[in-house]
Amino acid sequence: MKQVTIICEAYALESIKDLLREVGAHGWTHFTVEGAGAGGERTGETREFANIQVQVILQPAAAETLMTRLHAELFPLFGMIAYESEVRVIRSAKF
Amino acid sequence: MTIVDAIQANLLSPAVLFFVLGIIASLTKSDLKFPESLYVGMTIYLLVAIGFKGGVAIADAGLAKVWLPALAAIVLGALIPLWTYPVLRFGGKLPGVDAAAIAAHYGSVSAVTFIAATNYLQAINVPYEKYATAFLAVMESPAILIGVILGTLATKSGAGKPKANLRTAMHEALFGRSIFLLVGALLVGAFSGEEGMKKVEPFFVAPFQGVLALFLLEMGLVAGRRVGDLRKVGLFLLAFGVLVPLVNGVLGVVFGKFVGLELGGATLLGVLAASASYIAAPAAIRISLPDANPTLYLTSSLAITFPFNITLGIPVYLEVARFFFR
Repeated sequence: MKQVTIICEAYALESIKDLLREVGAHGWTHFTVEGAGAGGERTGETREFANIQVQVILQPAAAETLMTRLHAELFPLFGMIAYESEVRVIRSAKF
Repeated sequence: MTIVDAIQANLLSPAVLFFVLGIIASLTKSDLKFPESLYVGMTIYLLVAIGFKGGVAIADAGLAKVWLPALAAIVLGALIPLWTYPVLRFGGKLPGVDAAAIAAHYGSVSAVTFIAATNYLQAINVPYEKYATAFLAVMESPAILIGVILGTLATKSGAGKPKANLRTAMHEALFGRSIFLLVGALLVGAFSGEEGMKKVEPFFVAPFQGVLALFLLEMGLVAGRRVGDLRKVGLFLLAFGVLVPLVNGVLGVVFGKFVGLELGGATLLGVLAASASYIAAPAAIRISLPDANPTLYLTSSLAITFPFNITLGIPVYLEVARFFFR
């Protein structure tokens, strides 16, 4: 199984959720994060200017589609990074 | 009262002093920080409190008195992006989508600037129409919609750009949390009237000044963090962020006088016209015009126009109104 992690500006959330549904994700987690990057320091103090982290566990093929579509459709529009990693999932039937 | 006295009276109010304190905290890299939930909680409190008070005032004054100035506020909100767009596009030589995004922010309004202005008028004993909150509610959305339409047209003329999403913008402009809360609280206030006011007064009226001061401390921190971006936006937007509010402030005052508002009400319409949105508009614009550069519209509205209005603008618009009401 693959875990895809997306860190992006909070405004991208709705577009990401649409994309996750389209690639067949069954569930995901997102939360406000702090840090610094190309967009300067993000403090997470106000929702409007915060960054969020989205995590989703997917079948490898779906993860591949997600990464490709993120790159093509959302990277040009929002401040965003994404990476995937191999994970061992206990209740893999859920995904 | 001279203009210097008026500005001094404003600058020495706790709310404005706390705002300055917030900017200093941010510039000196103090570790002062508000939890996000407190920021959201204070936003909800302030919007509900002014919405409720405004609703009670509408019930008291009657719709017959409110509809004409409210209509003027809508027209004003829609006109501002229409005149500022060409200024930004051709005067500032900005790309169409950026010009449209900034124009939307300046046509839309800042609730906190409005609240600070009502606070100021109260402090120096200038009466105003309490139902003016209704103008705040109706002025938030029209400019955002006009801005998104302008931006969509500008984007379409560029080859291969993604289409702007007017539907998302409309949803955000009409049901976003700030407009939803404000309109909702206005309605609750209007239906519950003076009797209802008595029940919630200890919570929504007495602590209001303190919450506003605390909120402006946070706004000082938020605005202060954007000061570094001032270098990125260029001289044109710096001048735009100060001069356009002044022009809009005069326009608002004149509109207010024309539709029969008193000195205080006309000043508030001037403040609303002069203010730039930094909550509702960025949310709607970021989603519907993603090509527009957020540094430009956020920095100009939050780091230039907001501090200018809070410190100098508000007393200046009152003096402008005094001039027209002489």
